[in-house]
Amino acid sequence: MMQNVDDRVLDIRNLHVRFQTNDGTVEAVRGVDAQVSAGECLGVVGESGSGKSQTFLAAMGLLASNATVTGRVQFQGQNLLDLSVRELNRIRGSRISMIFQDPLTALTPHLRIGAQMREVLQTHQHISDRDAQQRCLQWLENVRIPEAAHRLKQYPHELSGGMRQRVMIAMAMLCEPELLIADEPTTALDVTIQAEILDLMDELRRDHGTAVVLITHDMGVVARMCDRVQVMRHGEYVEQGSCEEVFYGAQHDYTKMLLDSVPRIYVAPEQIVTADKSEADEVAPLRQGAQPVSPASPASPASPASPASPASPASPASPANDQSVSTTGSSNPAETILRVRDLRVTFPVHSGWFARKRTLRAVDGIGFDLAAGETLGIVGESGSGKSTLARAILQLIEPTDGQVNWQGKELTVLGRRELQKFRQNAQIVFQDPLASLNPSMTVGDSMAEPLKIFEPGLDRQARTRRVASMMERVGLPYTLINRYPHELSGGQNQRVGIARAMMSRPQLLICDEAVSALDVSIQAQILALLKDLQQEFGLSLIFISHDLSVVWEVSSRILVMYLGSVVELASRDDLFARPQHPYTRQLVSAVPVPDPKVERARSRIKLQGELASPMDAGARLRFLPSRRAQLPTDHVPLLSERFPNHFVAEHDPLESLLQPQGAE
Amino acid sequence: MLNYAFRRLLSTIPVLWIAITACFFVLRLAPGGPFDGERPLPEAIKQNLAAHYNLDKSLFEQYIIYLGNLLQGDLGPSFINQDFSVAEQLLVGLPYTLIIGGVAFFLSIVLGITAGILGSVYRNRFPDYLIGMVVLSGLVLPNFLVAPVLQLFFGLKLEWLPVGGWGGGAVSHIVLPVVVLALPHVARISRLTRGAMIEVMHSNFIRTARSKGLGSASIVWRHALKPTLTPVVSYLGPAASYLLTGSLVVETIFGLPGIGRYFINAALNRDYGMVLGTVVFYMILIVVLNLIVDILYAWLDPRVRSR
Repeated sequence: MMQNVDDRVLDIRNLHVRFQTNDGTVEAVRGVDAQVSAGECLGVVGESGSGKSQTFLAAMGLLASNATVTGRVQFQGQNLLDLSVRELNRIRGSRISMIFQDPLTALTPHLRIGAQMREVLQTHQHISDRDAQQRCLQWLENVRIPEAAHRLKQYPHELSGGMRQRVMIAMAMLCEPELLIADEPTTALDVTIQAEILDLMDELRRDHGTAVVLITHDMGVVARMCDRVQVMRHGEYVEQGSCEEVFYGAQHDYTKMLLDSVPRIYVAPEQIVTADKSEADEVAPLRQGAQPVSPASPASPASPASPASPASPASPASPANDQSVSTTGSSNPAETILRVRDLRVTFPVHSGWFARKRTLRAVDGIGFDLAAGETLGIVGESGSGKSTLARAILQLIEPTDGQVNWQGKELTVLGRRELQKFRQNAQIVFQDPLASLNPSMTVGDSMAEPLKIFEPGLDRQARTRRVASMMERVGLPYTLINRYPHELSGGQNQRVGIARAMMSRPQLLICDEAVSALDVSIQAQILALLKDLQQEFGLSLIFISHDLSVVWEVSSRILVMYLGSVVELASRDDLFARPQHPYTRQLVSAVPVPDPKVERARSRIKLQGELASPMDAGARLRFLPSRRAQLPTDHVPLLSERFPNHFVAEHDPLESLLQPQGAE
Repeated sequence: MLNYAFRRLLSTIPVLWIAITACFFVLRLAPGGPFDGERPLPEAIKQNLAAHYNLDKSLFEQYIIYLGNLLQGDLGPSFINQDFSVAEQLLVGLPYTLIIGGVAFFLSIVLGITAGILGSVYRNRFPDYLIGMVVLSGLVLPNFLVAPVLQLFFGLKLEWLPVGGWGGGAVSHIVLPVVVLALPHVARISRLTRGAMIEVMHSNFIRTARSKGLGSASIVWRHALKPTLTPVVSYLGPAASYLLTGSLVVETIFGLPGIGRYFINAALNRDYGMVLGTVVFYMILIVVLNLIVDILYAWLDPRVRSR
């Protein structure tokens, strides 16, 4: 895309950022150029530490005092780096504004939303309180915040994450700036909320001609939003060009590697046709046990990659209010190593001394089977209870009700000693690799600890040998054995976490958001490692993530959770080829695809309402509004087998759940 | 907010009850009693005295009687100083203690916060180092050392200030005790303020405020001050109790007629009523101050209210 020089809103030339630290000078940004024109969206992509945020924080004069910035940042004929703080303050928030990654910490906790928004107008435009109030209301409505007047009186912690980010955007747009810099604006949000926020930013750019700089690590987001892309590594641009050029003709190895690392959900075109046909079956909500007419699809919709072959006959659904159905993918019951039935975990919530005790139903009647060597992916948004489910399976928290059966043994009644034996066979890897390792133990000691517990006969040397061989297996250099977790990178720490979990040679490994905190390239390496380990040791994996594409990458079957219960359970390819439940379809359509042509051509499914709270029992009926009147409020939608081994919770047809026209 | 305050108020009741119960029984565990002097009293008189003060009843009965009286606001009789009840004696000493303690408390807050903000603004520069030195001396020097040194220097050498006594409440008489009492708290509060301010100024919402183009005064006063004060305010509860217990020593050194003197005398004489009364009174004061701190806390941080 040719740029007209006059259109240029921001022109950065040869920008250098250096930090003075105790370890000497660190050069975070080394000679970067960047230009953005009116109405254009520039994507700046890179992994953590690439200097992508520092570049634009430096341009805004927002870096810490130990930073030295040189170069030129031209905005409306002046070099921003030459301006005094007072002069800069006339531009910041008025002509250029910013939104940040974490909308909870980015808003002042003790000031009401209204106060934080009004002060922008009062600082820059000196208008009356009343006019300011009006403008704030108008902008909250522009970013589609319901009950805007009420929100102005609320504090940030009283809003949901998506709502807070809308407030940030409204606040940034109040003075209708020429340039909006968005620093990872959707990274902390769920995919469906991310999709809404991205649409909103795109709309504002088109309606107001605002230039947008989008700083992100997510190639899918770039594909959706950006006109031009600049790829950054170690403080320099390695590649830049139009979105199409970068995605379809990447020159630099780093860009290629970044693009290759992103897990892509791929569904063969012929399967998509099947999906469309199946919609005819959705005219009425399915009753329990109802047998849908199978579309004229191949007898086996499951992929060959899936060990869950659909040979077993459809099992009858379990008694009422029990979502558990015999959902084993395998015809041979001996192969099933884990059988979960009607599992429930509830937490009492005290909201005061005299307030009524309420019950938070984190896991609400979940059942599934897991075969040996299989990978079951569990997907759900924040608050869906997926981590609670993982902990309840391992008996790390006590389930309120239900059965967890491990190789024929009922875990919920086991004593401590027997439970310890089980733990040797079932291990877990957590999300934050640094926080889940003991900071006062060397990583070698952390990895040796399971051996001390499960194989007390080993002497020190034997343990070290075992640790060393496991380190080699997970790709950790032996020289790290006496290091502490804070001295390792995130990826290395997660390898330690996996090595620690694998020490006792478990048969089941639960990965709870195990790659969510890692950069894409590291994420791809860890996923590959997990697959290798599974092959080598015949592991069964339960892979929990909010990220649909990561789950797609590793799983053979996928379970979709919504507010503590299962909404859909099917083999991976079947689930993506013909997602049945409206919630699944919304999730699948919300994941950005790292391919600009595909991403821009497709439409998204938007359902009514925000993601409901697990405190609200009635929220479970969000997908059954037509029967809300008849059913008890704590009704858990029942599962039925719509296709062989493809289970779907009862729901209303998608069309009746879509957003009404014009009022998204 | 009101709801929160009310809930906090109710939660102080069990705290007070447990503390009073513990004090009552611990005090009785110590051997001896108020009427065991150098010269033993005749048995009959001892029995009469015991009956008069209910000491002949079982310990549990005495406890119930004490609690009952306390609920009616009666701290009970003094066992030694029979002409006055515990409450009357406390009321005599109270104004002195409250004036010294209150002024020291106020001074600690104002000086401490100011010094802390200055320290964070001039971080790692000369004013910060100077404040840091004063603060360090305030922290490490115990009040029973600082007090006599100040008395010697300002009282005896320079003869600017009196070395002790109440002097009808003249400012010159109050200065030294207040300074001695406040010094360690000025130090701690300024350290807390400095650290909190530096941390808050690096937080994300301050970056947002700067990106909105706000001036530095607006950033410090509107956005940074309240979260900075949160750790300071949580220290004020314990600070108030240190001030009260510290006043025992300071009142003795400067010869002030506060309640500290009664407390020490009563403890030496095993005057159950007086010791218990003073302890209960201190306890109520400390619990009330902590309650105020909790409520202030909720005012500073709206997230606390909904918890």
